[in-house]
Amino acid sequence: MDRIDEAIDTYFNKFTIRQSIIIPLVVVVISLLILAATTLTIGTPVKLGMEFVGGSAIIIDTPQTPGELQAAFSDYPLHSEPREHGNRKLLQFESMSQEKQNELTNFAVKEYGSENVEMRQVGEVFGKSQQIRAVQAIVIAFLLMAAVVLILFRKIIPAVAVIFAAFADIVFAMAMMGVFGLTLTFGTLAAILMLIGYAVDTNLLLTTRVLKRKGDPMVQIKNAMKTGLTMTSTTLAALLVLFLISTISYLAVSSFTRIDIVRDIAVVLIFGLLADVMNTWMFNTGILRKYVIMPRGRR
Amino acid sequence: MAMENSLLKNPRVLLLLAGVIISLIFIYPHPTDDGIDTNLKYGLELEGGSWLQLRMQGAIIEMDADPSQIIQSEYSTYLDDKDLEITRVKSDSIRFVTTKDVTRPQIEELDYGTASLLKEEETTLVAISTTKEQVIQTYLQNYLDTEVKILQTEDGTAYEIRTNTSETQVEQVLAPIGGKLLNYVEGVSSETRDDTKQILDAKLNGIGLKDIPIRTIGDDYILIDLAGVDIATALRIAATPGKFEIRIQTEGNQTNQTAHVLYGDQITSVGIPQQYEGAWGVSFRLKDEGAVALRDAAIRYDATTEPQNHHLIMYLDNNEIFSGPLAAGLAQNIQNIPVKDLKAQTGMGEEGGQKAKELQVHLRAGALPVNVEVIGSGQVPATLGAQFKEQLGIAGIITLIAVALIVYRRYRHREIIMPMLITTFSEVVMILGFAAAIKWQLDLPSLVAIIAVIGTGVDHLIIITDEVLHKERGELPTERIFKARIKKAFTIIFAAAATTIAAMIPLGYMGFGALRGFAIVTIVGILIGIFIARPAYGAIIKHIIV
Repeated sequence: MDRIDEAIDTYFNKFTIRQSIIIPLVVVVISLLILAATTLTIGTPVKLGMEFVGGSAIIIDTPQTPGELQAAFSDYPLHSEPREHGNRKLLQFESMSQEKQNELTNFAVKEYGSENVEMRQVGEVFGKSQQIRAVQAIVIAFLLMAAVVLILFRKIIPAVAVIFAAFADIVFAMAMMGVFGLTLTFGTLAAILMLIGYAVDTNLLLTTRVLKRKGDPMVQIKNAMKTGLTMTSTTLAALLVLFLISTISYLAVSSFTRIDIVRDIAVVLIFGLLADVMNTWMFNTGILRKYVIMPRGRR
Repeated sequence: MAMENSLLKNPRVLLLLAGVIISLIFIYPHPTDDGIDTNLKYGLELEGGSWLQLRMQGAIIEMDADPSQIIQSEYSTYLDDKDLEITRVKSDSIRFVTTKDVTRPQIEELDYGTASLLKEEETTLVAISTTKEQVIQTYLQNYLDTEVKILQTEDGTAYEIRTNTSETQVEQVLAPIGGKLLNYVEGVSSETRDDTKQILDAKLNGIGLKDIPIRTIGDDYILIDLAGVDIATALRIAATPGKFEIRIQTEGNQTNQTAHVLYGDQITSVGIPQQYEGAWGVSFRLKDEGAVALRDAAIRYDATTEPQNHHLIMYLDNNEIFSGPLAAGLAQNIQNIPVKDLKAQTGMGEEGGQKAKELQVHLRAGALPVNVEVIGSGQVPATLGAQFKEQLGIAGIITLIAVALIVYRRYRHREIIMPMLITTFSEVVMILGFAAAIKWQLDLPSLVAIIAVIGTGVDHLIIITDEVLHKERGELPTERIFKARIKKAFTIIFAAAATTIAAMIPLGYMGFGALRGFAIVTIVGILIGIFIARPAYGAIIKHIIV
């Protein structure tokens, strides 16, 4: 008996099966409400980033203040006020005509020097055409994952519980994107897809242990939980390192810089994994406990 | 010592060792003057440079229209003759009768074909030698104000419209002549795509950038990566044509004495290289203004009377690309009227053909055969790219340390932690080795995927460890029990791998630009993990506890 075992025992003594199923369901409902509210206000469940609506972003290494930059670029359709990350300033622009865009590019390169300008631009029409593909990618990935899970367990209730837990993870991660102002970019899209495949790992571990191993299901669940929490903590550690290095490391080491795509991937995965802890060890565990107690439940 | 020996005889461990060694050979870390270099290739984001993503705008249509109706409608409007009557339609010519007084150049002005006229008392009989396809092509060109190419397909004839044109636009143009649009597909033909790519190649080579990777995706997209070139330069090269000029020799045969005739903006269209009586040549057409300028210059400098002594010389960005005399017939013609349609002859045989091809590119002044839209572009300065690389390298190392601390807290046995870390590290080396072997360009998302693999790879090792150590810590499981447990652990691991691969497939397949790298590295990492690294770990841990 070490500390982890004790904590797990305390947890199971504290929560009833019913509570452990209902709490995650409430969280799912709240997440869905957040997504619905976002859809009502801006038309999509998460805010779309530049990759999906078109526009451009320029990051300039310059001592100029955001105010000075705003004035310098006043001829171009700034999307929001310039932001400051250490010496590097981020300017975001709405999409504009190709001529205007070329003019902007030339201006930035000439004025601040090519070596100090990072930029990316996505055409409006092309960006919008990617929206459908992003939705397709998420739906196909989810269906493929669900198919794999169904084939693995061949029992409806446990399989659906796993699939629902994965769904809840993704919904929560997307809702948190909205709450913390993250947009759908290539980075966050990749993270959502990764989450689809990855969030089911601990669920697979739990369900396999309970269904395919002989012995007291409660013992199996507790053992699985110990393994699962270790797994999640290593992955969270890796993601936390990525998040810190890509987001605020420049505050400590001045030569470091923000890397947005890395931060995007890390943040979404962190939220998804946190939700996964709850959805696996409360929701899925609760369903499995009910399922194995039911007379026709076992084999 | 005996233990290590038998471990080294285990096929799974040998496979892992072989994998790592082969990977190291592919990665080939070697010292250079400024540190250590490897065979790994990095994407632009990490190397510095700029990129352009271009979409070729155009449409391919299949349609039907009656050529006689087009001719009727076109010439009755043009000649202001409501009673114009089509008298005969053959596969290679169309005849009509008009009451108006017309001349041959007038008829040919509309570009439907060469005309011959037969004047009678009240009327003129006009015969235009042309085909149905040519009539439709010319009509579309005139009304859509762009180049139209005839494509011979398996199902018949299609027309490629070389600019952004909507279905409705085409229908509107066809309505007045009773034409029917049978099929409309956005995009361009693969031939046009290849032409565009070739011209871009020629332009980039022209400014001394050799071996620039120009990739085409499907028939519509072109991606160009320009390492070490800033975005302003990249846009200038790809999206703007060069300066084309025709000059004429003023003094007999002295090439350095020339006078300006016209610039490239006077060229409206350029034909494809063709053989005229054995000699290769490229036809091109001038605007009215350009045709007048050419005629004036030709007359002023006696090129009409002594063509051999007054070559026309073409320059692209001030480099001579063609020099030749006016053809005898043309010289005579030009004396009388401005000539809009010209041919530049490049010579006989294969060499002439090659020259004609090059000249075609030059005549377009490096302009692309289709309109291209910049759908994406960007640049990362080299110093920043190096910074990204360094930062992610550090992130990878810190991640490994953090993960090591967590597993140590959990298991507190160095015998388990060391194999875990070594296996995970081997996985990373093998992914990099694979990337080096297939010359995959590592970009930011790929590096993130590698770090994510560290996190998930360790997860699977934890599953194996816990399954094996399950309940009987201290008691040594027998070999038979051990095998059964390893099997169970791998059931879970394979299932977990299957779901992650399933989720990554759409990303790798649909390829959202940069994200393909992420998907592919993740999938490859998982495969290397489940087939090489984890079985070896199973063998090692068996060794330790059995």
